[in-house]
Amino acid sequence: MNLVIIDYGSGNLRSVENAFKNTVAVNNLNFKIIVTNNLSIISKADHLILPGVGSFPDCKKGLLKIIGLLDLLTNQVLNKRKKFLGICVGMQLMVDYSLEKKRTSGFGWLDGCFKKLKKNGLDYLGRSYKIPHIGWNNLQIEDRNHPIFDNINEKEQYYFVHSYALESKSTNEILANTIYNQRIPAIIGKDNYIGVQFHPEKSGNSGQKFIYNWLKWKP
Amino acid sequence: MLSTRVIACLDVHNGRTVKGINFINLKDAGDPVEQARQYSLIGADEICFLDISATNEKRRTMFNVISKTAESCFVPLTVGGGVNNLKDFRELLNSGADKVSINSSAVYNPNFIRESSDKFGNQCVVLAIDAIENKKLPCGYEVTTHGGRKKTNIDVLKWAKQGVKNGAGEILLTSMNSDGTKKGYNLKLTKLIAKNVSVPVIASGGAGSPRDMVDVVLQAGASAVLAASIFHYGIHSISSVKKEMLKNGIQVRDCEN
Repeated sequence: MNLVIIDYGSGNLRSVENAFKNTVAVNNLNFKIIVTNNLSIISKADHLILPGVGSFPDCKKGLLKIIGLLDLLTNQVLNKRKKFLGICVGMQLMVDYSLEKKRTSGFGWLDGCFKKLKKNGLDYLGRSYKIPHIGWNNLQIEDRNHPIFDNINEKEQYYFVHSYALESKSTNEILANTIYNQRIPAIIGKDNYIGVQFHPEKSGNSGQKFIYNWLKWKP
Repeated sequence: MLSTRVIACLDVHNGRTVKGINFINLKDAGDPVEQARQYSLIGADEICFLDISATNEKRRTMFNVISKTAESCFVPLTVGGGVNNLKDFRELLNSGADKVSINSSAVYNPNFIRESSDKFGNQCVVLAIDAIENKKLPCGYEVTTHGGRKKTNIDVLKWAKQGVKNGAGEILLTSMNSDGTKKGYNLKLTKLIAKNVSVPVIASGGAGSPRDMVDVVLQAGASAVLAASIFHYGIHSISSVKKEMLKNGIQVRDCEN
């Protein structure tokens, strides 16, 4: 199986590559991992990963700089139904739009928009809620039967770092939430595509389990 | 619920760890790559490398350390020490660092925080402040550079607020008066900054016991605690710190998962 990590000038590609390579090696799986922005290689990929760090508008701009990439991605994921994972801003790009800095449209594969995290109020220790939401947080699993949650319990924590959260009316597209002053969609998805707000590549053993489940998932 | 982070800090000089850690089964106590891996396995929520050789010529050694660490260490990595240009910042991120901390160079080039956060996003820009007591300044603390050796006459609170405005996503706050004393973090300083900035504050300098970490979270509102020597010399382990925090009602990440 060919797994392509899409290089569009944004993100911690190296960390994503390292973490996936480790999961593949440790579990003796048969995946070839390629990091590229080459459209013909992307079109031949079996699975696709879109990482992303930084701001939504910058990531979108970077993606559009590679002529034809957005159309190719849409075709590969929506028509050819290839398995897809969006990570952090890569996940944010999957929805209708974001209000980070200015209103910027996403791919529109999933419902909703990204709005700045709420900062009013105090946490359980009386500390004000800091933004970005940085650190390890739990998942509230909404769709327990989804194979992505095999062997994953709600005590496990994942590494988040973000300042915007999804607001969506399509609750069936939210597979898990996390809580930080508000309910924040942590895993979203439909059919053959999934997006995660946290960084599985930086989430230790719990992250490795998630990556394993995604690799084994047959949508 | 969001866990309060326990961060292990490694001082690296010319690619070697300065203070050795007494991990059992560790073949090379001076290898930062191996130490970071051990720390991540025993439950450190983040690893922070401080490059104390920190000259631009020697930066390459650090790129290699980060790059090797990132191959087997799947927790967030922060690197700091003398980073003063966007090219090195980018290369550290490309090597596998998640965040870069900026200290002296922010003082000498006030635009650097803004430039780097515009370019790479505020989530990876950490403003490191080395604070020393100075009653003549409004907040009572002065920003220092070069590991506390040079004074700047800059007020710490004003500097922290400006740094956040310019795009720092986090503040790594070290009390130079407490650093190395093992008598506890500077609660007054930490509280002053944590109360007045909108981003997370990492407390640093002075940790001598798990109780000190509890205090700086409960009494000063730190979002994360960083320590070097108490972990290095095996005086206290990460899990003993986390146990103490949990006992005092502070949510931490369970290292068993």
